[in-house]
Amino acid sequence: MAVAIEEGTAGAPDAGHGTRALAEPVDRRRVFAWNRYRFWEKATPFLFVAPVIAIVGVFTYWPLIYSIWLSFFDWNFVSPVKEFVGFANFTRLVDDPRFHRALWGTLVYILALVPAQVLLPLGLALLLWPIRRSRAQAVYRVTLFSPTVISFSVAALLWLWIFNPLQGILNKVIFEFGFAKVSWLSNPNTAIWCVIVVSIWKTIGFNLLLYLAALEAVPNDYIEAASLDGASGWQMFRLIRFPLITPTFFFVLVTTIISVNDEVFGAINVMTDGGPFDRSSNIVYYLYEQGFRIFQIGSASAVSLLIFAGTAILTWVQFRFVERHVHYG
Amino acid sequence: MANQDENARQRRQPQASRRTFLRGATAAAGSAAITGIAGLPFVRSARAADAPVEIVFMHVWGTPPGEKAAAIKHPATQLIEAFNAKNTGVTVRGETPSGDYFQTLTKAQAQIAAGKPPALVTTPWSNINYAVQGLQVLSLEKLGGSEAKGVLANYKPEVLPLVTMNGQTIGLPLAFSCPVMYYNNEIMKQAGVDPAEMFKDWASFKRLGAKVKAVTGNPILGLGNNADWEAQSIIQCNGGRVLDDNARPAWDSPEAIAAMAMMADLNKAGLYLQSTTKESNAAFIGGSLAIWMASIASLGGLSKQVKFDLKTSPFPVFAGKPRKMSSGGSFIGCYARDKDQQRGAWEFLKFVASKEGMDIWLKTGYLNATKYDEPVLPGQDSAYTQLAEGLTRESPWPGSRAAEVQKVWGTYVERIWAGDISAEDGCKQAKQQVLPLLPKT
Repeated sequence: MAVAIEEGTAGAPDAGHGTRALAEPVDRRRVFAWNRYRFWEKATPFLFVAPVIAIVGVFTYWPLIYSIWLSFFDWNFVSPVKEFVGFANFTRLVDDPRFHRALWGTLVYILALVPAQVLLPLGLALLLWPIRRSRAQAVYRVTLFSPTVISFSVAALLWLWIFNPLQGILNKVIFEFGFAKVSWLSNPNTAIWCVIVVSIWKTIGFNLLLYLAALEAVPNDYIEAASLDGASGWQMFRLIRFPLITPTFFFVLVTTIISVNDEVFGAINVMTDGGPFDRSSNIVYYLYEQGFRIFQIGSASAVSLLIFAGTAILTWVQFRFVERHVHYG
Repeated sequence: MANQDENARQRRQPQASRRTFLRGATAAAGSAAITGIAGLPFVRSARAADAPVEIVFMHVWGTPPGEKAAAIKHPATQLIEAFNAKNTGVTVRGETPSGDYFQTLTKAQAQIAAGKPPALVTTPWSNINYAVQGLQVLSLEKLGGSEAKGVLANYKPEVLPLVTMNGQTIGLPLAFSCPVMYYNNEIMKQAGVDPAEMFKDWASFKRLGAKVKAVTGNPILGLGNNADWEAQSIIQCNGGRVLDDNARPAWDSPEAIAAMAMMADLNKAGLYLQSTTKESNAAFIGGSLAIWMASIASLGGLSKQVKFDLKTSPFPVFAGKPRKMSSGGSFIGCYARDKDQQRGAWEFLKFVASKEGMDIWLKTGYLNATKYDEPVLPGQDSAYTQLAEGLTRESPWPGSRAAEVQKVWGTYVERIWAGDISAEDGCKQAKQQVLPLLPKT
């Protein structure tokens, strides 16, 4: 049977050779080879990305879907019986005072840490910027960045010693000034602030480096021109530098809001265990306790979905209302 | 001609990379298939028949912080090494994912869920219900068959009920402890306080505690374990109970509330240190804290760490009432599903329960749960006094939300002791909060 291949067929091997129609009959082997070629031509890109899709699917989307499924069950990962409980894992949270305290803690961490982790490194970067050519800046940079690379369990030992109520350096100092000793990590009014301080100390260096890199990228011509026009330091920051580093600022803001509650988890886990009386807990620590200390996978999955939804909404709000002020150059 | 060659080359190029890709993919799929076949049950059992058994013993006892592994091996490691040296055909591999019981149990649970359970895991007494209902622990009767009775005959009769449920022995008693009062005898001497008089009862403790506090200027009493454990002993000593016979909360009885109020009074008097257990441990070792209430299991470690005259005392009582302390620690539970693993686990448990095994294990400072004649370490006498008076089982928290019930109650204990809530309100609120978490009766 003779088969003709139409002129201009997409992907034809000799499509680049002109508009000649292949009018003469073609044998079966050639047609088969041609069809196979077309198949692989289309399939090959998918095969190349398949491993990545598989990895993302297995480690990101499957757990997400499985979490949704698990949130409707009472299960401990081991028991042969999964009891379907409907929305009970969600409704239970409404009445759980420990969840309420975790939510409150989450809010406090966001309100305290987002400004601290977004604005404080920016201020430090602006202070370090004028001495960018000196060795002093390298010293500051290393000093401020070092905590970022130290393991939290190691850092926590240091801070546990600082905050120790009877032997800690902090209490020794304030006692010398006539103040009473404080149980920093066991006092419900101070524990959460100790966690916040340690988290700032641990994470500030990374954002500082991002800001320094962004400031480096600001064209010097603009600064010189503004300088010649007599712009003050504040005007240069407000009208030139800040607008030009807004992509970095936006990135830091979004990633900080997304990650702030994950970041404090290490400090909570090592220093306070969420205590005293759950007052330094947050929603991520609550999730961890539900899943891995109390073994309630259904409850933990329900909480994880709430975190997912909350983070998605916050991120959307930022992109909707903040991104419009970002100058991408 | 040159154009034709170029086109031919271009046509060949994608085919060549595709071929390479397919070759790689086929190789990967082949490897995966071979690995998969190797993991099939019939292949595994065929392999196991002619190979020595290796089992995992997951426990919480690593090398003490700051010590060199080669210099000081924990008795748990020594126990494993002594067993392996016997070449029984069973090799035990110790794993210490964490020094924390709950984290270790979590890790074990993850492995059970993944179908690769560790054969043996140290399981806290308080999680005995969960081990049975949630993790399907294998009883010693099922594991050891006719040999089990002989092995268990070596244990003190008062110990076995602590690890028995529904007529089955849930695990091998290993880490057997109770809380005691550790104190810095040098501070006591400086304060001119007779420890025997001070620890006689809680009223004396409070009265003489003020003199001790005058020496250091600090609160004198710190907590070394989860508060609910010590609270259980204190409540029982006042005639109350934490859980009743049906495992329902009984901590809102007048006796229990009065016991909790006594601790709150100590805090009000500035005698009780609000701190984390890590902080109080550091303060006691450093000599800033005079008294530390903690498990007798800490004796071995503390003896090496402190630089002062370390002594222990039984817990103070409530005037005119008997002491009734709670036991604590962990048993070894078997979670192996595979027959060979179970056989290996039983071989190791028999060794642990032997005189040779106990000679090694009891260097830790834990109490001797067996009938073997073992030396009493300096400081252990306080714990043995309490044991002789009769230890109760650590609260077996009920239901699938057992750990959450314990957590809620523990948090209220801390709040009451710290004066964050009154004893009466705290006990009652805690009960209201845990009732929905308990299994329906």
